[in-house]
Amino acid sequence: MNKGNGRCNRRGWRVVIAGTGGQGVVTAARLLCECFAERGHEVVSGQLHGMAQRGGAVQSSVIIDGGISPMIAAGRADFVVGLEPVETVRALPLMSSRTTVYMNITPVMPFVLAQRAVREGQPRILGAVPTTKTPLALQSKYPEIVELERYIRAVTNNLVKLDATRLAAEASSSAALNMVMLGCLLGSAVLPCTADAFSDFVAARSPGALREANVKAFRMGFEAVKAGDTG
Amino acid sequence: MSTPRSHDLLQDSPGKRLCLLGNLAIVRGAVEAGVQFYSCYPGTPSSEISDTIAQFAGRTGIHFEYSVNEKIAVEIAFAASLAGVRSMCGMKHLGLNYALDPAATMPYMGVEGGMVIVSAGDPSAITSPNEQDQRHFCRFLYYPVFDPATPEDARRMTRYAFEFSEKTRLPVILRPTTRICHSSGMVQLGTLSDKRKEIGFHKNPPRYVPIPSNAQRMRTELSARFRQAEELLSASEFFPRRGNGRRGIIASGIAYAYVSQVIDELGVAGDISLLQIGACPIPESLLVDFLNSVDSVLVVEELTPFVEEWVCVSAFRAGRTIPVFGKHTSHLPVEFEYTPDLVEDAVRKYLELGERAKTSVVVPELPPRPPVLCPGCPHRTSFYLVNRVFGKRTIYCNDIGCYTLGYGEPLHACDVLLCMGASISLASGLARTTGQRTVAYIGDSTFFHSGLPALVNAVRADDTITVVILDNYITAMTGFQPSPTTDTERLKEPVPTESPPVADGNGRFSIEDAVRGLGVREIYSVDPFDEKATLAALKQAKRGKGVNVVVCHSPCVVHERRTTRLGKRVPYEISQEQCNACSLCVRVLGCPAILTEDGKYWIDADLCDGCDLCARLCQQDAIHAMTPERVH
Repeated sequence: MNKGNGRCNRRGWRVVIAGTGGQGVVTAARLLCECFAERGHEVVSGQLHGMAQRGGAVQSSVIIDGGISPMIAAGRADFVVGLEPVETVRALPLMSSRTTVYMNITPVMPFVLAQRAVREGQPRILGAVPTTKTPLALQSKYPEIVELERYIRAVTNNLVKLDATRLAAEASSSAALNMVMLGCLLGSAVLPCTADAFSDFVAARSPGALREANVKAFRMGFEAVKAGDTG
Repeated sequence: MSTPRSHDLLQDSPGKRLCLLGNLAIVRGAVEAGVQFYSCYPGTPSSEISDTIAQFAGRTGIHFEYSVNEKIAVEIAFAASLAGVRSMCGMKHLGLNYALDPAATMPYMGVEGGMVIVSAGDPSAITSPNEQDQRHFCRFLYYPVFDPATPEDARRMTRYAFEFSEKTRLPVILRPTTRICHSSGMVQLGTLSDKRKEIGFHKNPPRYVPIPSNAQRMRTELSARFRQAEELLSASEFFPRRGNGRRGIIASGIAYAYVSQVIDELGVAGDISLLQIGACPIPESLLVDFLNSVDSVLVVEELTPFVEEWVCVSAFRAGRTIPVFGKHTSHLPVEFEYTPDLVEDAVRKYLELGERAKTSVVVPELPPRPPVLCPGCPHRTSFYLVNRVFGKRTIYCNDIGCYTLGYGEPLHACDVLLCMGASISLASGLARTTGQRTVAYIGDSTFFHSGLPALVNAVRADDTITVVILDNYITAMTGFQPSPTTDTERLKEPVPTESPPVADGNGRFSIEDAVRGLGVREIYSVDPFDEKATLAALKQAKRGKGVNVVVCHSPCVVHERRTTRLGKRVPYEISQEQCNACSLCVRVLGCPAILTEDGKYWIDADLCDGCDLCARLCQQDAIHAMTPERVH
């Protein structure tokens, strides 16, 4: 059998949303699911996270008209929506040269870094600067954004960076970060739903007090991508 | 927007398609079957099933309870079933082990109203200490076990299971895994059943009393009912076949979804016959028919080679000697969850398609984000104070709950851990044999779950142990289900309880009264944020002989924020002038809100809960509550 070079039978759209607990990854994924399901698409979605704790790594997949598997195979993500820089890079195995990556550049500090820093040498006033050879996991400092960017660009050049945390704060509060990032996605990705239609869906689903803030944050992400005003 | 909309699950609109979480699809299946009784003990990944039913149980007339443990949940649901009621139990895989005593005999006695036990599996042990294969309850104790591959499977199987259970009088296990529970997919709503048996317990001791003379008769009847189950399943829709190729693949659970996807993407579906095993006992005739139609077969299933060995036995008995590939041929592993990539590799190897083009993606090692006690968590304070008094030579026996996160740096609150309620027995055994000081840490929910008998045992044996009960008034780890010490009056949506708990005046069950009643004489009741009183109590306890108990009462801060309108407390900040970078706060407390880089220490104001533990610890007096104008 001379078959199975893969890829040829890929259908649908595969979106990965990555971030940390409390950033709204799961809510963003559910909104995508429900919106596309309501519009008559076949949607499946999976989640990867350990114990549901604030601050842990969270990854959700949303697959539209792409079969019944809720998990995405290596290199098969069409879009990666990264709510946090390190978490965006954690989704690297799902990326290929055809993936478009949206990355928020404001980090959420992993607290293990503080533990490492004090174990390395205490008191650590000057601090040994980690060399580039130190694996990121063993460093006690948050990796430089440019370094993380290098890893992504080694796989795909379709990288959109933006300070979504700042935009969310401008729109209402940092809690609207996921809405800014969804604005980016719907603003530039080729998905079977317009940004206007998705914005209306967000408005319809948001409780009264948050409706305006969510829609505003969504529009800001959308405008930022359209204007190319991205880092 | 952030809460599941439970009313969607009650709607009477057959044919409508919704995108539902697997756990919610199970709820919908139960609603369609007209479930009347639901009992449970929370456990990831099953918890959303119970929590969702809790939301509408009151208004739909479903008897609902968060039971004190799984054994009670199963017994009480079985009793409801004996009264002709359709009953259901929710728990994680380990929960069914705890309930195995009643569960082992229930198939002998048989049910009246359909009874379904949802026992969610956790391949890869993502939120559990082990990964066990629940399907073995089929061979082991004659339970039909349903194994969904998608949320829609989960809905249909749950719905079917009740009627099936009534026809065979067998209680049934539904075994969704984490990947089913926590994935969403399209579900087509079915009709709502209005079939109800008449409720009533009809005395019939030979049927309901498994003394040996009756048990022996029941045993024979059980074999007949199990054969009937196999016949019914052979006519069911849970063994769909796809394709007519000569290369066979048999798959179950989430692995079926992966295989289905992989053969489509590889473009090989035409060469393959794919059989899903959605339930067991696997109907022999159906399996043999399939084996007769293919030249070889690959079996793809997570965990043990359960289906694989069943296939081998059936093939042998039918004289059908074709190659069977799977775990014993190293096409697939027995450990851990499968992934689409792993399944693709196995299918490629089986079909001799050559290896998957490996990507050249360089993945750096990234800083991990392990689970950690929340900022402001009262357990951190308790651990810190116990460490100060009991020191490093004490053996710390921990238990199942948020407080397990005291493991490792820097709190070192967990030297040994086994299962629910084991902290006290472990402390007893270690104290008795080593003569060392032992401390058992156990939370309120876990203490009532299975700590009580261990405490009686320790008192009877007069072991010298200190039991520190960490009472935060809630089952926090699994998503804030009530525990016996929860003040039900104060919960936003009170959980219906059949009888009011024995209260200490606040609508809470008193741990102290319980412990006193079990014969413990030395009991201390403290608020761990009252450092002086707690230290004094712990010092007394350390000097004590025999069993003593220190109850640390302080509410879970996260639950407190969600259920009261108090809002967050004022966060703390580190004065850069006063901080001498001694690192004490980070080294001792492990609070995720305290961060450091390049010798500079600061507190993340968004994360800080304002508990003041670090401020009290700081020798430089460098940590203070933010002044109002600095709080945004």
